Amino acid sequence: MAAASSDPFPLPAQNTLLIVDDDEINCIVLENLFEPYYETQTAENGREGLSRILADPERYCAILLDVIMPEMDGLEVLHRLAAERLLSRLPVFLITAETSDSVMEEAYRLGVMDVIGKPIIPYVVLRRVQSVIELFQARRRLSSVVIAQQSELYERARKIAELSTGMIEALAAAIEFRSGESGGHVRRIRDITHFLLTRTELGEGLSGETIDQISLAAVMHDVGKIAIPDAILNKPGKLTAEEFEIMKTHTTQGALLLEKIPQLRENEAYLYARDIALHHHERWDGRGYPEGLAGDSISIWAQIVSLADVYDALSCKRIYKDAFPRETVLQMIRDGQCGVFNPRLLDCFFAVEEELSALYRPGLE
Amino acid sequence: MDQLLKTNLTAAGVDVEAAVSRLMGNEALLERLLRKFAADANFAALKAAVKDGNREQALAASHTLKGMTGNLSMTVLFDLFSRQVEAIRGGDWERAVSLMDEITPARERVLSLIETL
Repeated sequence: MAAASSDPFPLPAQNTLLIVDDDEINCIVLENLFEPYYETQTAENGREGLSRILADPERYCAILLDVIMPEMDGLEVLHRLAAERLLSRLPVFLITAETSDSVMEEAYRLGVMDVIGKPIIPYVVLRRVQSVIELFQARRRLSSVVIAQQSELYERARKIAELSTGMIEALAAAIEFRSGESGGHVRRIRDITHFLLTRTELGEGLSGETIDQISLAAVMHDVGKIAIPDAILNKPGKLTAEEFEIMKTHTTQGALLLEKIPQLRENEAYLYARDIALHHHERWDGRGYPEGLAGDSISIWAQIVSLADVYDALSCKRIYKDAFPRETVLQMIRDGQCGVFNPRLLDCFFAVEEELSALYRPGLE
Repeated sequence: MDQLLKTNLTAAGVDVEAAVSRLMGNEALLERLLRKFAADANFAALKAAVKDGNREQALAASHTLKGMTGNLSMTVLFDLFSRQVEAIRGGDWERAVSLMDEITPARERVLSLIETL
């Protein structure tokens, strides 16, 4: 923090004053006047002046411009600077004996800062030019401060978003711990969902932001398990019909739980999260639970999470089973041993499964 | 610049005090600029343009001289060049030409003093 006391938003130096006049004596008079305050440069006609400005517009703090000059006159220089949109950040002063109405009118219309009559009165010129330079530099400094503050705000918003994502994942992982898992499951479900939506046609028509929201929502698919008693959740053997009925309620319980978090309801991910929690055990043939939805009446994200859930469960060791080899996993999914899925979803899944299988390489978890 | 020269220049229509103050008190710079004025080619260009009847070039030269004499507070010459520029612009060429009879001696007078610098 050594630099904290100095300028927090340094600007490149912009301290050169350019005098454009074919009259050498006038150039010298103006240089003599401004030299103590600025670095001065002179150009002896409009063409030379313009090319200097265009070569390095950032170095100049103001331009003093004569009107009648050989090669290119002052109004033409003004025209070109206006066309380059430089006049809003580079103040130009017309220094001229031509104070005819038509010249002044055109100069002001083009955006000249001020018209100063010749022969000059030194203190007047100095004061008028300096005030405008200070104004422009203050304006420039202010806008750079605003830009810096804006990016700081963006950065803070990003951190807040990251924090809430982290908290949602922590909540989901905490619930998972009860089933003796490590938190890897929810992360993999999130990654598989994201992968299928971004790398296959399943995500068509969804924006990157929406896909991020859906992937975050996927993390919360099993939050309803918090309402399931340990004896059922962690039972090593097969569940009885009655126990299974209770187990099935983790879908409706999950939806209810999510409905009760007002902060979440304001989040875009909420609608996806509730839908996924409620419907990730529906089946394409209508024989799933809790609502028995069939076909496309199940949202594509709920279908994806449903498949991802099965794929992950088969690929990993669970309290009630060991991990199956990859070939067995794929065979079981293909044969419909773990549910009936949308054929289009399966096509997309098998097309990219090789890459997904990298999530289960030994040593990763 | 000694007091006598200042007095003489002032008598020849040069407001020395105003010129020095325009140069933020830099008298040496005024001397340099006066020599520059004496060596400047615009007056020769003006004479030639008037002789050839080239109004455009006469206007350019007279306008430049107006600017120089203004900056150097040569009030008499500045006034004459201002009238000449106005005459050429207003289409009164004869008047612009006849002003040379006033401009030339007034300029000679100033130049002879500058030579003593």
